[in-house]
Amino acid sequence: MTRVEVRADGPPLIDGYRAAVGDMALRSLEGLARRLRGHRVVMVNSTATGGGVAEILHRLVRLMNELGVPTTWEVMPGDARFYAITKTIHNTLHGWPGTLSASDHEYFHEVNRRAAAALALDGDLVLIHDPQPAGLVLHRREPGQHWVWRCHIDLSSAEPDVWSFLAPIVGRYDAAVFSHISFVPSLDVPAYLVPPSIDPLSEKNRELSDDEMEGLLAPLGLPARRPWVTQVSRFDRIKDPVGVIEAFLVMRRREDAHLVLAGGSADDDPEGAEVLAEVRAKAGSRSDITIALLPPDAHLTINALQRRSSVVVQKSLREGFALTISEALWKRRAVAASAVGGIPLQVLHDRTGLLVRSVPGCAAAMTRLLRSPDLRRRLGIEGREHVRHNFLHPREARDYLAIFARLVSAAESRAA
Amino acid sequence: MDGPFELMSVIHLVRPAGDRAGDLEALRAGIARAEPATLFYHALQHPLRRPDSDEARDDDWSTWVRGVVQDGETAEHLAYAVQHRAGSADELREALLEALGAVPEKARAVRAAPAGAEFTFLTVESVPVPTGCVAHDAAELMTGLEDADLNAWFYHLFEQPWFAGGPPALTQWLAARGAARLARAIEDEAKSGRGLLTLRRRVLRRWRQRRLGSRIAAAAGATEGDRRDTERAAVAGLVRRITRTDEP
Repeated sequence: MTRVEVRADGPPLIDGYRAAVGDMALRSLEGLARRLRGHRVVMVNSTATGGGVAEILHRLVRLMNELGVPTTWEVMPGDARFYAITKTIHNTLHGWPGTLSASDHEYFHEVNRRAAAALALDGDLVLIHDPQPAGLVLHRREPGQHWVWRCHIDLSSAEPDVWSFLAPIVGRYDAAVFSHISFVPSLDVPAYLVPPSIDPLSEKNRELSDDEMEGLLAPLGLPARRPWVTQVSRFDRIKDPVGVIEAFLVMRRREDAHLVLAGGSADDDPEGAEVLAEVRAKAGSRSDITIALLPPDAHLTINALQRRSSVVVQKSLREGFALTISEALWKRRAVAASAVGGIPLQVLHDRTGLLVRSVPGCAAAMTRLLRSPDLRRRLGIEGREHVRHNFLHPREARDYLAIFARLVSAAESRAA
Repeated sequence: MDGPFELMSVIHLVRPAGDRAGDLEALRAGIARAEPATLFYHALQHPLRRPDSDEARDDDWSTWVRGVVQDGETAEHLAYAVQHRAGSADELREALLEALGAVPEKARAVRAAPAGAEFTFLTVESVPVPTGCVAHDAAELMTGLEDADLNAWFYHLFEQPWFAGGPPALTQWLAARGAARLARAIEDEAKSGRGLLTLRRRVLRRWRQRRLGSRIAAAAGATEGDRRDTERAAVAGLVRRITRTDEP
């Protein structure tokens, strides 16, 4: 079964989004949906569960159907060898060393060819997510269809040989979509910038009552009287958790606070376990630092943790888009974050948060925020509005529909 | 100006324009080459990014020059150029090039961004979105504007006149329908620098006040029953406005 059945129980999503962003902000989305009546959208990716893309698709597909644009979601079938190849593609596009052999190329095409025969792809507007199903365009493109490739990966350090394998395939699309300008490679097709978005209705972002928060946070045993400084991210060197501790220790000479480093368990990731050990060694036996290992489905706990923190930190050395920033801003939190990747789009310095570039800079920003409740409040209010207008799901859905409307109009003009 | 007026909204699709600048000289060269849509995006599209804010936002170039290149004086000159000489793409380009030209050529090449913090020129493709409102008189148009999103206000009051040159087609159409004062008031509001949400609120308040006078005059000659119906409709309209969830 390649088609994903998206749950449509409960109240309409559109009502929830209307409450979050306002009636007026949804009108252009509804207008675009009217413009695309009579068209059908097909989304394709490589998994129905796990990962940010699947999470977004569960919502977008339902939302677009509620708007009256029939939309289906198909998952590309593959096997272990194919997934090993696409894992290599994924990692090397992110800048890790690695290569693909000629037989890898051939197998990638072979699986895409088989998938092209298996999938329905019964829409005229086709949105392909990420590299795994990118090759479908070579085998199933039909007249009248518009194909768009949505790349969720940071390609700024992509391994040239691997990208040169993918680039001609992407060149067969009508357009490509990237999250951030720095991720856009040289291409022969129009490239659009569509930042990713968060779901204000999800467990990670919905409002929580005080009782709910207390219940969720009690197992962590965090001090109630001290302000919390929190970084939520996996234990990975590029997230610089050791740097966060160093900045905290500098700040701690003057301010009273408690540091929380919350991230997923590193059991299945040898490097993650190594980093976690380094973090534990750096924290030593200090009672003002908590290292919280959370299961992958601890969305509500993360939500409560962010909401109860005085300062949310993201001291990454390198980032894709870092939607944890938008999550914190949506909760009106004061944020101190590195000026890397997509973070400066979310943190407008001194307006929606503070941008930092070093350990001393991070310490100074933490201190400034902890000392000034007014500044925290002002940044938090601005930050929430910034996210409301720019980084929620309805805006992302609107951008996809606008790209399709643009392609349809261009085709109609050519035909006329 | 003959015929009905179709109220449109717009979505901006952002694309790389192909140029990058690492120092003021490269910024100058990029601005000299930039398409009008690129100039428009970096200088004038800000109201749509935070439509609820009345705080004047700097354009992208002066923000970059101030924050990244850390040349406050040039940033001021660029911001001034955008605020005062952005009536058209040519005028804006000339003003920006003058501001950058005031920096000696050698200094322009030295005043640079750190690696990885270059300015990337972007451009926009505007995707028109019909609002469903095709107005035949001023009242219909104002009712349409009341229902339209802020992108529609932005499109008709800022984007369309900037690219076409001259006053907005919307206000010209209103003036041609006998609503010249209202048209002038809308144009004044558009020049005020207020945020889109405030602009919308102020224009609609003015429109409602204007309509109130003509309604009272019309009601003076109406029968008791007609007046009662009008009162009921007015109260219903008020309730609708109060209960509408435009602003969460």
